[in-house]
Amino acid sequence: MTMTPAKVPRELDSPLDGGVGESRRRPDGTLKVTGEFAYSSDLWLEGMLWGVTLRSPHPRARIRSIDVSEALAHPGVEAVLTHEDVPGFKFYGLEHKDQPVLAIDQVRYQGEPVALVAADHPEVARRAAAKIKVDYEVLTPITDARRAAFDPDCEKVHEDGNVVRHQPVIFGGDVAEARAGADVIVSETFEVGIQDQAFLGPESGLAVPGEDGGVDLYVATQWMHSDLWQIAPCLGLPEEKVRMTMAGVGGAFGGREDLSMQIHAAMLAMRTGKPVKIVYNREESFFGHVHRHPARMRYEYGATRDGKLVFAEAEIILDGGAYASSTPNVVGNAASLGVGPYKIPSIRVDAYGVYTNNPPCGAMRGFGAVQACFAYESMMDRMAAALGLDPVTFRQINAAHPGDALATGQVLEHMAPLAEMLGRLKAMPMPPERDAAGHDLRELPGGVSNTTHGEGVRRGVGYGVGIKNICFSEGFDDYSTARVRLSIIGGEPTVLVHTSAAEVGQGLVTLKAQIARSELGVRRVTIAPADNQVGSAGSSSASRQSYMTGGAVKVACEAVRERMFKLFEERLGRPPASLAEAVEHLPEVLGDEVIDETREFHHHRTERMDPVTGQANSHTQLAICVHRAVVDVDVELGLVKVVELAAVQDVGKIMNPLSLEGQIHGGTAQGLGLALMEEIVVADGKVRNPSFTDYLIPTILDMPPMRLDILEYADPRAPYGLRGAGEPPTLSSTPAIVAAIRDASGLALTRVPVRPEHIAGSS
Amino acid sequence: MRPFAYRRPADARAAVEAALDAPRAMYLGGGTNLVDLMRLGVAEPDLLVDVAGLPYDTIRETGDGGLEIGGAVRNSDLAAHPAVRRDRPMLAQALLSAASGQIRNAATVAGNLLQRTRCAYFQDVSKPCNKRIPGSGCPAIEGDHYNLAILGHSAHCVATHPSDMAVALTAFGAAVHVEGPGGRREIGMPGLHRLPGDRPEVDTVLDPGDLITGLTVRPLPFAARSRYRKVRERASFAFALVSVAAALDVEDGTVRDCRVALGGVAHAPWRAERLEEALRGRPATEGSYAEAADAELDLAEPLRDNAYKIPLARKVIVRTLAELGG
Repeated sequence: MTMTPAKVPRELDSPLDGGVGESRRRPDGTLKVTGEFAYSSDLWLEGMLWGVTLRSPHPRARIRSIDVSEALAHPGVEAVLTHEDVPGFKFYGLEHKDQPVLAIDQVRYQGEPVALVAADHPEVARRAAAKIKVDYEVLTPITDARRAAFDPDCEKVHEDGNVVRHQPVIFGGDVAEARAGADVIVSETFEVGIQDQAFLGPESGLAVPGEDGGVDLYVATQWMHSDLWQIAPCLGLPEEKVRMTMAGVGGAFGGREDLSMQIHAAMLAMRTGKPVKIVYNREESFFGHVHRHPARMRYEYGATRDGKLVFAEAEIILDGGAYASSTPNVVGNAASLGVGPYKIPSIRVDAYGVYTNNPPCGAMRGFGAVQACFAYESMMDRMAAALGLDPVTFRQINAAHPGDALATGQVLEHMAPLAEMLGRLKAMPMPPERDAAGHDLRELPGGVSNTTHGEGVRRGVGYGVGIKNICFSEGFDDYSTARVRLSIIGGEPTVLVHTSAAEVGQGLVTLKAQIARSELGVRRVTIAPADNQVGSAGSSSASRQSYMTGGAVKVACEAVRERMFKLFEERLGRPPASLAEAVEHLPEVLGDEVIDETREFHHHRTERMDPVTGQANSHTQLAICVHRAVVDVDVELGLVKVVELAAVQDVGKIMNPLSLEGQIHGGTAQGLGLALMEEIVVADGKVRNPSFTDYLIPTILDMPPMRLDILEYADPRAPYGLRGAGEPPTLSSTPAIVAAIRDASGLALTRVPVRPEHIAGSS
Repeated sequence: MRPFAYRRPADARAAVEAALDAPRAMYLGGGTNLVDLMRLGVAEPDLLVDVAGLPYDTIRETGDGGLEIGGAVRNSDLAAHPAVRRDRPMLAQALLSAASGQIRNAATVAGNLLQRTRCAYFQDVSKPCNKRIPGSGCPAIEGDHYNLAILGHSAHCVATHPSDMAVALTAFGAAVHVEGPGGRREIGMPGLHRLPGDRPEVDTVLDPGDLITGLTVRPLPFAARSRYRKVRERASFAFALVSVAAALDVEDGTVRDCRVALGGVAHAPWRAERLEEALRGRPATEGSYAEAADAELDLAEPLRDNAYKIPLARKVIVRTLAELGG
């Protein structure tokens, strides 16, 4: 790992182990790999009931009637609920409250919840649910997003029209004029299939009715307060009567931003007066959360013969499915980041988010920046080829540098120059050539399936660049809250850090403790369970928790430290010479007293995108990752072995090297999945492969070793100068891998995932 | 899941009698396929007759170099058996290329032969499927079928058989032992699995109550040089797009004999008889292998989106034979 000097001074003198910058093991790591970690699906209370959701088998239908009488009469059943039983407001949603808690008179996607059953056993509840008679008038689903957006004769999924958001971006000179001045013009249409978060822990949780008429919810989620703000109105309860506690989360990747079983379990618990547990099985999970938007993207680029881009035009259509979820913000990212970190004099982007009767789509790691990245990087390769230029050189010629503006006019600041990152990437050693004889089958396309011993195998190399916004964008006043408590326990200074931030596997629990150790010089740090008894921490998404909750813990610790120093001076008549001295004297200085500080951390303000031009400083922070993929392709059978993935990423400050490398490996693997195999196949609005047997995610045999070069160009506005790191690698690995397959096969490959059928027989 | 009765008979006769007691009785082996299908509502047995505990869990070498394999032998154990690894590598390779270690530890040989198709429409109870509900139609023909059959399909069904092991056993011409209401009999492979025709709901020639107690793999000395190759969409844990099991007997540059079967292409493991016929007596060259492959694949009738399987199958056949032919 390469370290460039961090530009944030470390004013403290804490010599302590386990602080910021060190590799610390995660407390949940061992438990997870040994199968001992308690996930939300492991929750159990004596006497609890089991909730089951009846879902629509049709992507679009009117509901003529629902008859629950037989289900209610089923022995063991304690409640059967429909939309009529929703105690409060009947709709919820992250940005638009357009999604009914339970279907009202119509269903808009396959798998939409229609009714709920609580019974003393899950199998009893399932059998009773099968006895609910729903009389559907089946309608032809609206499944073509382009038609839904542009054909005035297309029926409407919701009354107010099929376009959830259209965001144009117009930058620089007139595109038509620039086109006239271009020596070379290339155009192409790209498609991205529906990727699933494919987290391992299916949606699950427990609702316990409270004596005060409220409810205690134990759920696995990404943002408890956002859940709460949606749940409480639907239950007709004030927020203080909905007490949320984080249960063990089995991965999220955006798939837990929207509600799933939360309101349902609470409704059943409030109706029956008993605790109710709901656990989706794997198949139901595929219907229980939103996916990554599939995209159809039309791009046209022009350049001069000497390799300078002169214009870029793009139309990006994102199929949001039946409900809005986070589609508006996904569109904002696709539009603002739609041509990547390149300096282009004339840009026109039109991004659309559209309602259809396909599966609802929303947040997933990379959030709107992934789809466009596949398109713009494919365009960069295509233009480089048309100009006869090396793909890296062509990118370097057009790279936006710090001080240059993106398509929205926002100027890149405080980050590594892209051209330099690409130079470092290209200079990394290449993996060895394939050994022609006596090789390990696992090193070949097809692996141990024994499909080749080298026949038909060609090597290819490809590059990808991705830019991702870090933290929430477009004027949202985002913040996180941390409470830090310092006391003496058993004669030893002890810090308690309390936030409501969701640990979804990203390692935030470890990082919070590292920050507290560094800031307070105290070895013993305890992380309180996340609940809503402390203010909002915002979502564990947008690569934002190190920045936001890390920032909140840091400022709360600073407040505690200030009081600690003040107390020292009061008691000992002089200021401490160092943090270490202050901590050393803490037992006598603090005694039985407690220092307890709660702080909110806000990032600097951003702006809304102009609705006509898209121009704005809309993003809090930007981050770039670049990938090089080396692949061996069996061009006859269509099988791909990714031999090596190398990445250069600027993270501002390495907070925990072990966690960081894990994030880059994981994000890269998810991008590999999108490149080669991951797709929810939908036909006529219905999902064809809702299982991990048929929805393929990469295994360890598919994922190659990685070479990383991590840079630290500090962002002075961010705590420790850090830059969010979880998402950027998810963007650039996909186009790099596809570019490498193109290099090996000579195929155009305009759609991901690339499957064997797209390559086989092309040689 | 529908309610069902469960019985654990003491021997094969009792199992057969028990299975005849209920109209939708099914035998339960490792449960790795059946239980999943029950959860999905695809299989709805009223009685499960658990035969995993019957004494058919041994592998016996016959004096002449053949093998007697019990129906309840676990896939892992068969793959690990020295006589399989040494004399029949394509069978070991086929077994090991299937599923995961955990599933192979539970799945039985008989259950592997009788597993149902992975066709998405068969698995989705909200869709018509002639195999699940006879006469309801086959949406796969017009729908999503990129991984379905190119050989031997019908206007009623285009599903493929998912087993890898059965492909190797078909190449061997294994004999399946059946204990049925009318006594014992043997069924040769190919011959156990049917093509769909107009009754795709019937996967095999077995009658109600028939129990597979084991199989015989007769000696085939040249199968010591045999291979199983499988094309799939990721490096592990995936079903075959196309697979081939092949054994080749070459003397003085001429093919004396061969056995070839294909997987992932048809409703049954597909013995490539035309290929074998075309190859016997021919020089052991890539040209001969390609011609022989074409003789078989000329029978193929691809669907709209799966014609890629024809060149794919040809390539895998040629490569496998070329490797074996030296």
